[in-house]
Amino acid sequence: MIESVVITFVQAVVILAVSPFIVGLIRKVKARLQCRQGPGWLQPYYDLVKLFRKDVVASTHTSWIFTASPYIIFASTLAAVLLVPIFLSTVPLNFAGDVITVVYLLALGTFFLILAGLDAGSAFGGMGSSREAIVASLTEPAMILSIFAVGLTAGSTNLSTIVHKTALLQGIVTDPPPHLMALAALFIVTLAETGRVPVDNPATHLELTMIHEAMILEYSGRYLALVEWASAMKLLLFLTLISNIFAPWGIATEPEPVWMIFGVAVWLVKVSGLAVLIGVIESMFAKLRLFRVTDFLGLAFILSLLAIIFFYILRG
Amino acid sequence: MVIHPDIGSQLVNFCSALLLLTCFAIIAQRRLSACVDLFALQSVFLAVTAALVAFLTGAHHIYIAAALTVVIKAMILPRILKAVIERLNVTRELVLNINIPSSLLVCGALVILAFYITQPIISLGFLLTKDSLAIALAIVLIGFFTMIARKKAVTQVIGFLVIENGLFLGATAAAYGMPLIVELGVFFDVLVAGLIIGIYTHRLQDTFDSVDTTKLTALKE
Repeated sequence: MIESVVITFVQAVVILAVSPFIVGLIRKVKARLQCRQGPGWLQPYYDLVKLFRKDVVASTHTSWIFTASPYIIFASTLAAVLLVPIFLSTVPLNFAGDVITVVYLLALGTFFLILAGLDAGSAFGGMGSSREAIVASLTEPAMILSIFAVGLTAGSTNLSTIVHKTALLQGIVTDPPPHLMALAALFIVTLAETGRVPVDNPATHLELTMIHEAMILEYSGRYLALVEWASAMKLLLFLTLISNIFAPWGIATEPEPVWMIFGVAVWLVKVSGLAVLIGVIESMFAKLRLFRVTDFLGLAFILSLLAIIFFYILRG
Repeated sequence: MVIHPDIGSQLVNFCSALLLLTCFAIIAQRRLSACVDLFALQSVFLAVTAALVAFLTGAHHIYIAAALTVVIKAMILPRILKAVIERLNVTRELVLNINIPSSLLVCGALVILAFYITQPIISLGFLLTKDSLAIALAIVLIGFFTMIARKKAVTQVIGFLVIENGLFLGATAAAYGMPLIVELGVFFDVLVAGLIIGIYTHRLQDTFDSVDTTKLTALKE
Protein backbone atom coordinates (compact mmCIF):
# COMPACT_ATOMS: atom_id res chain seq x y z
CA MET A 1 0.00 0.00 0.00
CA ILE A 2 2.64 2.49 1.13
CA GLU A 3 4.85 1.28 -1.67
CA SER A 4 2.11 2.09 -4.21
CA VAL A 5 1.65 5.58 -2.78
CA VAL A 6 5.39 6.22 -2.89
CA ILE A 7 5.68 4.98 -6.49
CA THR A 8 2.75 7.16 -7.60
CA PHE A 9 4.24 10.15 -5.83
CA VAL A 10 7.66 9.58 -7.38
CA GLN A 11 6.05 9.25 -10.81
CA ALA A 12 4.30 12.61 -10.38
CA VAL A 13 7.52 14.28 -9.25
CA VAL A 14 9.53 12.78 -12.11
CA ILE A 15 7.03 14.00 -14.72
CA LEU A 16 6.75 17.46 -13.18
CA ALA A 17 10.53 17.77 -13.00
CA VAL A 18 11.40 16.36 -16.42
CA SER A 19 8.70 18.01 -18.57
CA PRO A 20 10.29 21.52 -18.71
CA PHE A 21 13.60 19.86 -19.58
CA ILE A 22 12.06 18.20 -22.67
CA VAL A 23 10.65 21.53 -23.85
CA GLY A 24 14.09 23.09 -23.34
CA LEU A 25 15.74 20.19 -25.17
CA ILE A 26 13.56 20.70 -28.27
CA ARG A 27 14.36 24.45 -28.22
CA LYS A 28 18.06 23.69 -27.86
CA VAL A 29 18.02 21.26 -30.81
CA LYS A 30 16.23 23.83 -32.96
CA ALA A 31 18.67 26.56 -31.92
CA ARG A 32 21.67 24.37 -32.74
CA LEU A 33 20.23 23.49 -36.14
CA GLN A 34 19.87 27.21 -36.80
CA CYS A 35 23.54 27.70 -35.76
CA ARG A 36 22.53 29.53 -32.60
CA GLN A 37 23.70 28.85 -29.06
CA GLY A 38 20.14 28.94 -27.73
CA PRO A 39 19.00 29.58 -24.17
CA GLY A 40 20.51 27.51 -21.36
CA TRP A 41 19.20 24.12 -20.27
CA LEU A 42 17.51 25.59 -17.20
CA GLN A 43 15.67 28.37 -19.03
CA PRO A 44 12.20 26.68 -18.99
CA TYR A 45 12.57 26.22 -15.21
CA TYR A 46 13.55 29.88 -14.74
CA ASP A 47 10.54 30.88 -16.84
CA LEU A 48 8.19 28.88 -14.64
CA VAL A 49 9.69 30.31 -11.42
CA LYS A 50 9.47 33.83 -12.82
CA LEU A 51 5.85 33.38 -13.90
CA PHE A 52 4.84 31.97 -10.51
CA ARG A 53 6.25 35.11 -8.83
CA LYS A 54 4.44 37.53 -11.15
CA ASP A 55 1.04 39.03 -10.43
CA VAL A 56 -1.99 37.88 -12.39
CA VAL A 57 -3.70 40.34 -14.68
CA ALA A 58 -7.19 39.29 -15.75
CA SER A 59 -9.66 41.16 -17.89
CA THR A 60 -12.75 42.43 -16.06
CA HIS A 61 -14.88 40.67 -18.68
CA THR A 62 -13.71 37.22 -17.67
CA SER A 63 -15.82 34.78 -15.64
CA TRP A 64 -14.88 32.01 -13.21
CA ILE A 65 -13.98 29.79 -16.16
CA PHE A 66 -10.92 31.92 -16.84
CA THR A 67 -9.76 31.55 -13.23
CA ALA A 68 -10.58 27.86 -12.83
CA SER A 69 -9.30 26.60 -16.19
CA PRO A 70 -5.54 26.64 -15.45
CA TYR A 71 -6.10 24.49 -12.36
CA ILE A 72 -8.42 22.09 -14.20
CA ILE A 73 -6.00 21.80 -17.13
CA PHE A 74 -3.03 21.21 -14.83
CA ALA A 75 -4.87 18.72 -12.63
CA SER A 76 -6.40 16.70 -15.48
CA THR A 77 -3.04 16.44 -17.27
CA LEU A 78 -1.29 15.35 -14.08
CA ALA A 79 -4.04 12.78 -13.41
CA ALA A 80 -3.65 11.41 -16.95
CA VAL A 81 0.11 11.15 -16.48
CA LEU A 82 -0.33 9.03 -13.36
CA LEU A 83 -2.18 6.37 -15.40
CA VAL A 84 0.66 6.00 -17.91
CA PRO A 85 3.50 3.58 -17.15
CA ILE A 86 6.77 5.48 -17.09
CA PHE A 87 9.47 3.51 -15.29
CA LEU A 88 7.33 0.69 -13.87
CA SER A 89 5.24 -1.34 -16.31
CA THR A 90 2.26 -1.70 -13.94
CA VAL A 91 1.37 1.65 -12.42
CA PRO A 92 -0.25 1.41 -8.96
CA LEU A 93 -3.22 3.48 -10.15
CA ASN A 94 -3.99 1.22 -13.12
CA PHE A 95 -7.29 0.12 -11.52
CA ALA A 96 -8.48 3.74 -11.82
CA GLY A 97 -8.75 3.81 -15.56
CA ASP A 98 -7.51 2.58 -18.91
CA VAL A 99 -6.40 4.32 -22.07
CA ILE A 100 -9.88 5.75 -22.67
CA THR A 101 -9.66 7.54 -19.32
CA VAL A 102 -6.24 8.96 -20.30
CA VAL A 103 -7.52 10.24 -23.64
CA TYR A 104 -10.58 11.86 -22.12
CA LEU A 105 -8.70 13.38 -19.19
CA LEU A 106 -6.56 15.09 -21.80
CA ALA A 107 -9.71 16.02 -23.73
CA LEU A 108 -11.11 17.58 -20.54
CA GLY A 109 -8.01 19.78 -20.32
CA THR A 110 -8.34 20.70 -24.00
CA PHE A 111 -12.02 21.50 -23.51
CA PHE A 112 -11.33 23.92 -20.67
CA LEU A 113 -8.45 25.48 -22.58
CA ILE A 114 -10.87 26.12 -25.46
CA LEU A 115 -13.44 27.63 -23.04
CA ALA A 116 -10.76 29.80 -21.44
CA GLY A 117 -9.71 31.05 -24.88
CA LEU A 118 -13.30 32.07 -25.59
CA ASP A 119 -13.95 33.46 -22.13
CA ALA A 120 -11.83 36.59 -22.32
CA GLY A 121 -13.73 37.61 -25.44
CA SER A 122 -10.65 38.66 -27.43
CA ALA A 123 -10.59 38.06 -31.17
CA PHE A 124 -7.42 36.00 -31.02
CA GLY A 125 -8.69 33.75 -28.24
CA GLY A 126 -11.84 32.82 -30.15
CA MET A 127 -9.85 32.12 -33.30
CA GLY A 128 -7.39 29.91 -31.44
CA SER A 129 -10.24 28.06 -29.72
CA SER A 130 -12.10 27.27 -32.91
CA ARG A 131 -8.89 25.98 -34.50
CA GLU A 132 -8.03 23.91 -31.46
CA ALA A 133 -11.52 22.40 -31.61
CA ILE A 134 -10.93 21.33 -35.24
CA VAL A 135 -7.57 19.79 -34.42
CA ALA A 136 -8.80 18.08 -31.25
CA SER A 137 -11.83 16.55 -32.95
CA LEU A 138 -9.62 15.13 -35.72
CA THR A 139 -6.84 13.79 -33.49
CA GLU A 140 -9.05 12.12 -30.91
CA PRO A 141 -10.31 9.20 -33.07
CA ALA A 142 -6.82 8.63 -34.50
CA MET A 143 -5.29 8.54 -31.03
CA ILE A 144 -7.91 6.16 -29.61
CA LEU A 145 -7.71 3.82 -32.61
CA SER A 146 -3.92 3.71 -32.72
CA ILE A 147 -3.72 2.71 -29.07
CA PHE A 148 -6.56 0.22 -29.59
CA ALA A 149 -4.53 -1.40 -32.37
CA VAL A 150 -1.82 -2.18 -29.84
CA GLY A 151 -4.40 -3.04 -27.23
CA LEU A 152 -5.82 -5.72 -29.53
CA THR A 153 -2.48 -7.52 -29.54
CA ALA A 154 -2.22 -7.28 -25.78
CA GLY A 155 -5.89 -8.18 -25.31
CA SER A 156 -6.63 -5.20 -23.07
CA THR A 157 -7.21 -1.46 -23.20
CA ASN A 158 -5.41 -1.01 -19.91
CA LEU A 159 -2.13 0.79 -20.56
CA SER A 160 -0.35 -1.08 -17.79
CA THR A 161 -1.36 -4.45 -19.24
CA ILE A 162 -0.33 -3.38 -22.75
CA VAL A 163 3.08 -2.14 -21.61
CA HIS A 164 3.65 -5.07 -19.26
CA LYS A 165 2.88 -7.70 -21.91
CA THR A 166 4.92 -5.93 -24.56
CA ALA A 167 7.85 -5.54 -22.16
CA LEU A 168 7.75 -9.28 -21.54
CA LEU A 169 7.67 -9.83 -25.34
CA GLN A 170 4.18 -11.31 -25.29
CA GLY A 171 2.57 -10.23 -28.50
CA ILE A 172 4.46 -7.44 -30.19
CA VAL A 173 6.65 -9.77 -32.25
CA THR A 174 3.56 -11.32 -33.82
CA ASP A 175 2.14 -8.18 -35.39
CA PRO A 176 4.67 -5.76 -36.86
CA PRO A 177 2.53 -4.17 -39.64
CA PRO A 178 -0.32 -3.01 -37.36
CA HIS A 179 2.17 -1.70 -34.83
CA LEU A 180 4.07 0.22 -37.47
CA MET A 181 0.88 1.86 -38.78
CA ALA A 182 -0.28 2.69 -35.25
CA LEU A 183 3.13 4.15 -34.42
CA ALA A 184 3.05 6.45 -37.46
CA ALA A 185 -0.51 7.53 -36.58
CA LEU A 186 0.32 8.20 -32.94
CA PHE A 187 3.36 10.23 -33.93
CA ILE A 188 1.23 12.48 -36.17
CA VAL A 189 -1.29 12.80 -33.33
CA THR A 190 1.54 13.80 -30.99
CA LEU A 191 2.69 16.57 -33.31
CA ALA A 192 -0.88 17.88 -33.62
CA GLU A 193 -1.99 17.54 -30.00
CA THR A 194 1.09 19.19 -28.53
CA GLY A 195 0.97 22.09 -30.98
CA ARG A 196 4.15 21.35 -32.91
CA VAL A 197 5.18 22.16 -36.48
CA PRO A 198 3.65 21.33 -39.03
CA VAL A 199 0.30 21.85 -37.27
CA ASP A 200 1.11 24.77 -34.98
CA ASN A 201 4.20 26.80 -34.25
CA PRO A 202 5.09 26.84 -30.54
CA ALA A 203 7.83 29.45 -30.97
CA THR A 204 5.75 32.48 -31.86
CA HIS A 205 3.11 34.80 -30.40
CA LEU A 206 2.95 36.93 -33.49
CA GLU A 207 1.44 34.77 -36.19
CA LEU A 208 -2.14 34.96 -37.34
CA THR A 209 -2.05 31.18 -37.75
CA MET A 210 -1.18 30.32 -34.15
CA ILE A 211 -3.44 27.91 -32.27
CA HIS A 212 -2.20 27.14 -28.77
CA GLU A 213 -0.56 30.52 -28.20
CA ALA A 214 -3.71 32.32 -29.35
CA MET A 215 -5.79 30.63 -26.69
CA ILE A 216 -3.43 31.43 -23.82
CA LEU A 217 -2.72 34.98 -24.97
CA GLU A 218 -4.81 36.46 -22.13
CA TYR A 219 -3.07 34.49 -19.40
CA SER A 220 -0.33 35.87 -17.18
CA GLY A 221 1.49 35.12 -13.95
CA ARG A 222 0.86 31.81 -12.19
CA TYR A 223 -2.05 30.96 -14.52
CA LEU A 224 0.26 31.12 -17.50
CA ALA A 225 2.83 29.08 -15.59
CA LEU A 226 0.25 26.36 -14.87
CA VAL A 227 -0.95 26.24 -18.49
CA GLU A 228 2.61 26.13 -19.84
CA TRP A 229 3.64 23.46 -17.37
CA ALA A 230 0.53 21.41 -18.23
CA SER A 231 1.30 21.60 -21.95
CA ALA A 232 4.90 20.54 -21.25
CA MET A 233 3.56 17.57 -19.29
CA LYS A 234 1.19 16.72 -22.12
CA LEU A 235 4.10 16.69 -24.56
CA LEU A 236 6.06 14.41 -22.24
CA LEU A 237 3.01 12.18 -21.79
CA PHE A 238 2.69 11.68 -25.53
CA LEU A 239 6.42 10.94 -25.92
CA THR A 240 6.12 8.46 -23.04
CA LEU A 241 3.12 6.80 -24.67
CA ILE A 242 5.02 6.38 -27.95
CA SER A 243 8.16 5.01 -26.34
CA ASN A 244 6.48 2.79 -23.76
CA ILE A 245 3.67 1.35 -25.87
CA PHE A 246 5.80 0.51 -28.88
CA ALA A 247 9.21 -0.10 -27.31
CA PRO A 248 8.89 -0.48 -23.55
CA TRP A 249 12.04 -2.60 -23.20
CA GLY A 250 14.14 -1.48 -20.27
CA ILE A 251 11.11 -0.58 -18.17
CA ALA A 252 10.92 -2.25 -14.74
CA THR A 253 8.40 -5.10 -14.74
CA GLU A 254 8.69 -5.66 -10.98
CA PRO A 255 8.66 -2.90 -8.34
CA GLU A 256 12.36 -3.36 -7.49
CA PRO A 257 14.13 -0.04 -6.70
CA VAL A 258 17.22 -0.89 -8.78
CA TRP A 259 15.19 -1.76 -11.86
CA MET A 260 13.00 1.29 -11.42
CA ILE A 261 16.03 3.60 -11.34
CA PHE A 262 17.31 1.83 -14.45
CA GLY A 263 13.82 2.26 -15.92
CA VAL A 264 13.92 6.01 -15.33
CA ALA A 265 17.30 6.23 -17.07
CA VAL A 266 16.13 4.22 -20.10
CA TRP A 267 12.91 6.23 -20.28
CA LEU A 268 14.88 9.50 -20.17
CA VAL A 269 17.05 8.33 -23.07
CA LYS A 270 13.98 7.30 -25.10
CA VAL A 271 11.96 10.47 -24.58
CA SER A 272 15.03 12.64 -25.15
CA GLY A 273 15.61 10.82 -28.44
CA LEU A 274 12.02 11.49 -29.49
CA ALA A 275 12.36 15.14 -28.39
CA VAL A 276 15.46 15.52 -30.58
CA LEU A 277 13.51 13.97 -33.47
CA ILE A 278 10.69 16.50 -32.98
CA GLY A 279 13.26 19.32 -32.88
CA VAL A 280 14.72 18.12 -36.19
CA ILE A 281 11.24 17.82 -37.75
CA GLU A 282 10.37 21.35 -36.60
CA SER A 283 13.54 22.64 -38.25
CA MET A 284 13.03 20.72 -41.49
CA PHE A 285 9.37 21.30 -42.26
CA ALA A 286 7.28 24.41 -42.74
CA LYS A 287 3.98 24.85 -40.96
CA LEU A 288 1.02 23.59 -42.96
CA ARG A 289 -1.75 25.92 -44.01
CA LEU A 290 -4.66 25.49 -41.63
CA PHE A 291 -6.88 23.88 -44.27
CA ARG A 292 -4.15 21.38 -45.09
CA VAL A 293 -4.01 20.25 -41.47
CA THR A 294 -7.10 18.12 -42.09
CA ASP A 295 -5.19 16.21 -44.81
CA PHE A 296 -2.36 15.53 -42.39
CA LEU A 297 -4.66 14.41 -39.59
CA GLY A 298 -6.77 12.40 -42.03
CA LEU A 299 -3.61 10.42 -42.78
CA ALA A 300 -3.25 9.63 -39.07
CA PHE A 301 -6.86 8.47 -38.87
CA ILE A 302 -6.60 6.22 -41.92
CA LEU A 303 -3.34 4.72 -40.68
CA SER A 304 -4.79 3.91 -37.27
CA LEU A 305 -7.91 2.44 -38.87
CA LEU A 306 -5.71 0.29 -41.14
CA ALA A 307 -3.70 -0.83 -38.13
CA ILE A 308 -6.85 -2.32 -36.60
CA ILE A 309 -7.98 -3.88 -39.89
CA PHE A 310 -4.52 -5.38 -40.41
CA PHE A 311 -4.74 -6.97 -37.01
CA TYR A 312 -7.95 -8.84 -37.85
CA ILE A 313 -6.82 -9.76 -41.33
CA LEU A 314 -3.39 -11.07 -40.37
CA ARG A 315 -5.01 -13.12 -37.64
CA GLY A 316 -7.37 -14.55 -40.26
CA MET B 1 23.34 -17.67 -39.23
CA VAL B 2 19.83 -19.10 -39.35
CA ILE B 3 16.76 -17.04 -38.48
CA HIS B 4 13.63 -18.72 -37.19
CA PRO B 5 11.07 -18.81 -40.05
CA ASP B 6 8.39 -17.04 -37.97
CA ILE B 7 10.67 -14.13 -37.18
CA GLY B 8 11.84 -14.04 -40.80
CA SER B 9 8.25 -13.92 -41.96
CA GLN B 10 7.53 -11.08 -39.51
CA LEU B 11 10.56 -9.13 -40.76
CA VAL B 12 9.32 -9.46 -44.34
CA ASN B 13 5.85 -8.32 -43.22
CA PHE B 14 7.40 -5.38 -41.42
CA CYS B 15 9.32 -4.23 -44.49
CA SER B 16 6.29 -4.62 -46.75
CA ALA B 17 4.23 -2.60 -44.27
CA LEU B 18 6.84 0.17 -44.63
CA LEU B 19 6.25 0.06 -48.40
CA LEU B 20 2.50 0.46 -47.87
CA LEU B 21 3.15 3.33 -45.47
CA THR B 22 5.12 5.23 -48.12
CA CYS B 23 2.21 4.66 -50.55
CA PHE B 24 -0.06 6.54 -48.19
CA ALA B 25 2.52 9.28 -47.78
CA ILE B 26 2.65 9.66 -51.59
CA ILE B 27 -1.15 9.96 -51.71
CA ALA B 28 -1.14 12.58 -48.94
CA GLN B 29 1.66 14.62 -50.51
CA ARG B 30 1.02 17.47 -52.94
CA ARG B 31 4.60 18.55 -53.63
CA LEU B 32 5.89 16.71 -56.68
CA SER B 33 9.54 16.59 -55.65
CA ALA B 34 8.54 15.18 -52.26
CA CYS B 35 6.49 12.53 -54.07
CA VAL B 36 9.58 11.57 -56.07
CA ASP B 37 11.65 11.36 -52.88
CA LEU B 38 9.00 9.18 -51.28
CA PHE B 39 9.01 6.91 -54.32
CA ALA B 40 12.80 6.60 -54.04
CA LEU B 41 12.38 5.74 -50.35
CA GLN B 42 9.75 3.16 -51.22
CA SER B 43 12.13 1.57 -53.72
CA VAL B 44 14.82 1.37 -51.05
CA PHE B 45 12.36 -0.41 -48.74
CA LEU B 46 11.49 -2.73 -51.63
CA ALA B 47 15.15 -3.54 -52.14
CA VAL B 48 15.54 -4.25 -48.42
CA THR B 49 12.52 -6.57 -48.52
CA ALA B 50 13.89 -8.38 -51.57
CA ALA B 51 17.34 -8.73 -50.01
CA LEU B 52 15.72 -10.07 -46.86
CA VAL B 53 13.81 -12.67 -48.85
CA ALA B 54 17.01 -13.58 -50.69
CA PHE B 55 18.80 -14.01 -47.39
CA LEU B 56 16.02 -16.07 -45.81
CA THR B 57 15.46 -18.37 -48.76
CA GLY B 58 18.97 -18.57 -50.18
CA ALA B 59 17.68 -17.57 -53.63
CA HIS B 60 20.72 -15.55 -54.61
CA HIS B 61 19.37 -14.14 -57.86
CA ILE B 62 17.03 -11.92 -55.81
CA TYR B 63 20.12 -10.05 -54.52
CA ILE B 64 20.81 -8.93 -58.09
CA ALA B 65 17.20 -7.78 -58.49
CA ALA B 66 17.47 -5.90 -55.18
CA ALA B 67 20.67 -4.17 -56.29
CA LEU B 68 19.06 -3.23 -59.62
CA THR B 69 16.05 -1.84 -57.71
CA VAL B 70 18.33 0.47 -55.77
CA VAL B 71 20.25 1.61 -58.84
CA ILE B 72 17.34 2.05 -61.26
CA LYS B 73 14.33 2.89 -59.09
CA ALA B 74 15.97 4.68 -56.18
CA MET B 75 18.69 6.54 -58.10
CA ILE B 76 18.23 6.85 -61.87
CA LEU B 77 14.45 7.22 -62.21
CA PRO B 78 14.12 9.82 -59.41
CA ARG B 79 16.90 11.83 -61.09
CA ILE B 80 15.05 11.75 -64.42
CA LEU B 81 11.77 12.75 -62.77
CA LYS B 82 13.43 15.57 -60.82
CA ALA B 83 15.00 16.87 -64.00
CA VAL B 84 11.55 16.83 -65.65
CA ILE B 85 10.01 18.67 -62.69
CA GLU B 86 12.77 21.27 -62.74
CA ARG B 87 12.47 21.92 -66.46
CA LEU B 88 8.67 22.08 -66.42
CA ASN B 89 8.63 24.40 -63.43
CA VAL B 90 5.70 22.64 -61.77
CA THR B 91 6.11 22.18 -58.03
CA ARG B 92 2.78 20.92 -56.75
CA GLU B 93 -0.63 19.48 -57.57
CA LEU B 94 -3.03 22.34 -57.05
CA VAL B 95 -6.28 20.93 -58.41
CA LEU B 96 -6.98 17.29 -57.63
CA ASN B 97 -9.65 15.08 -59.15
CA ILE B 98 -10.30 13.68 -55.68
CA ASN B 99 -9.23 15.65 -52.62
CA ILE B 100 -6.70 14.25 -50.17
CA PRO B 101 -8.91 13.12 -47.24
CA SER B 102 -11.24 11.30 -49.66
CA SER B 103 -8.26 9.79 -51.49
CA LEU B 104 -6.95 8.47 -48.19
CA LEU B 105 -10.32 6.92 -47.38
CA VAL B 106 -10.51 5.33 -50.83
CA CYS B 107 -7.00 3.93 -50.39
CA GLY B 108 -7.97 2.54 -47.00
CA ALA B 109 -10.90 0.77 -48.68
CA LEU B 110 -8.56 -0.51 -51.42
CA VAL B 111 -6.27 -2.04 -48.80
CA ILE B 112 -9.21 -3.85 -47.22
CA LEU B 113 -10.34 -5.02 -50.65
CA ALA B 114 -6.84 -6.32 -51.41
CA PHE B 115 -6.80 -8.24 -48.16
CA TYR B 116 -10.15 -9.89 -48.79
CA ILE B 117 -9.25 -10.83 -52.34
CA THR B 118 -5.97 -12.44 -51.35
CA GLN B 119 -7.21 -14.07 -48.16
CA PRO B 120 -8.17 -17.43 -49.80
CA ILE B 121 -4.81 -17.56 -51.60
CA ILE B 122 -2.83 -16.65 -48.50
CA SER B 123 -4.53 -19.24 -46.32
CA LEU B 124 -3.47 -21.96 -48.78
CA GLY B 125 0.11 -20.68 -49.05
CA PHE B 126 3.13 -22.11 -47.31
CA LEU B 127 5.85 -19.57 -48.24
CA LEU B 128 7.14 -17.37 -45.45
CA THR B 129 6.40 -14.30 -47.57
CA LYS B 130 2.76 -15.21 -48.20
CA ASP B 131 1.26 -12.39 -46.10
CA SER B 132 3.06 -9.79 -48.23
CA LEU B 133 0.92 -10.78 -51.22
CA ALA B 134 -2.02 -8.83 -49.78
CA ILE B 135 0.18 -5.77 -49.24
CA ALA B 136 1.57 -6.11 -52.78
CA LEU B 137 -1.94 -6.14 -54.27
CA ALA B 138 -2.86 -3.14 -52.10
CA ILE B 139 0.17 -1.24 -53.43
CA VAL B 140 -0.77 -2.06 -57.03
CA LEU B 141 -4.34 -0.82 -56.43
CA ILE B 142 -3.12 2.37 -54.75
CA GLY B 143 -0.78 2.96 -57.70
CA PHE B 144 -3.73 2.63 -60.10
CA PHE B 145 -5.71 5.00 -57.93
CA THR B 146 -2.87 7.57 -57.95
CA MET B 147 -2.92 7.52 -61.74
CA ILE B 148 -6.69 8.13 -61.75
CA ALA B 149 -6.91 10.68 -58.95
CA ARG B 150 -4.06 12.99 -59.95
CA LYS B 151 -3.96 15.25 -62.98
CA LYS B 152 -0.31 16.08 -63.49
CA ALA B 153 1.63 13.76 -65.78
CA VAL B 154 4.51 13.55 -63.30
CA THR B 155 2.29 12.21 -60.50
CA GLN B 156 0.77 9.73 -62.90
CA VAL B 157 4.26 8.47 -63.72
CA ILE B 158 4.87 8.02 -60.02
CA GLY B 159 1.61 6.07 -59.81
CA PHE B 160 2.82 3.84 -62.64
CA LEU B 161 6.13 3.23 -60.89
CA VAL B 162 4.32 2.46 -57.62
CA ILE B 163 2.31 -0.19 -59.49
CA GLU B 164 5.59 -1.67 -60.72
CA ASN B 165 6.93 -1.74 -57.16
CA GLY B 166 3.78 -3.52 -56.05
CA LEU B 167 4.14 -6.11 -58.81
CA PHE B 168 7.76 -6.75 -57.89
CA LEU B 169 6.79 -7.23 -54.26
CA GLY B 170 3.96 -9.51 -55.36
CA ALA B 171 6.31 -11.67 -57.42
CA THR B 172 8.74 -11.87 -54.52
CA ALA B 173 5.95 -12.71 -52.09
CA ALA B 174 4.12 -15.27 -54.20
CA ALA B 175 7.03 -17.10 -55.78
CA TYR B 176 10.30 -15.87 -54.22
CA GLY B 177 10.89 -13.72 -57.30
CA MET B 178 10.72 -14.29 -61.04
CA PRO B 179 13.56 -15.83 -63.05
CA LEU B 180 16.44 -13.39 -63.37
CA ILE B 181 16.04 -12.93 -67.13
CA VAL B 182 12.41 -11.82 -66.63
CA GLU B 183 13.43 -9.42 -63.86
CA LEU B 184 16.11 -7.92 -66.08
CA GLY B 185 13.56 -7.45 -68.86
CA VAL B 186 11.14 -5.75 -66.48
CA PHE B 187 13.81 -3.40 -65.15
CA PHE B 188 14.79 -2.43 -68.65
CA ASP B 189 11.14 -1.85 -69.54
CA VAL B 190 10.59 0.37 -66.50
CA LEU B 191 13.70 2.39 -67.25
CA VAL B 192 12.69 2.89 -70.88
CA ALA B 193 9.10 3.67 -69.85
CA GLY B 194 10.44 6.28 -67.41
CA LEU B 195 12.52 7.88 -70.18
CA ILE B 196 9.68 7.83 -72.71
CA ILE B 197 7.18 9.27 -70.27
CA GLY B 198 9.72 11.97 -69.39
CA ILE B 199 9.98 12.95 -73.07
CA TYR B 200 6.22 12.69 -73.52
CA THR B 201 5.72 15.04 -70.56
CA HIS B 202 8.03 17.57 -72.21
CA ARG B 203 6.01 17.33 -75.43
CA LEU B 204 2.82 17.83 -73.41
CA GLN B 205 4.30 20.97 -71.85
CA ASP B 206 5.42 22.28 -75.25
CA THR B 207 2.01 21.70 -76.87
CA PHE B 208 -0.39 22.69 -74.12
CA ASP B 209 1.79 24.82 -71.78
CA SER B 210 0.71 22.48 -69.00
CA VAL B 211 1.28 18.94 -67.81
CA ASP B 212 -2.37 18.49 -66.93
CA THR B 213 -3.32 15.27 -68.73
CA THR B 214 -7.01 16.18 -68.84
CA LYS B 215 -6.06 18.69 -71.57
CA LEU B 216 -5.32 15.71 -73.81
CA THR B 217 -9.05 15.07 -74.17
CA ALA B 218 -9.56 18.46 -75.83
CA LEU B 219 -9.45 18.48 -79.63
CA LYS B 220 -6.74 20.62 -81.09
CA GLU B 221 -5.59 21.33 -84.64
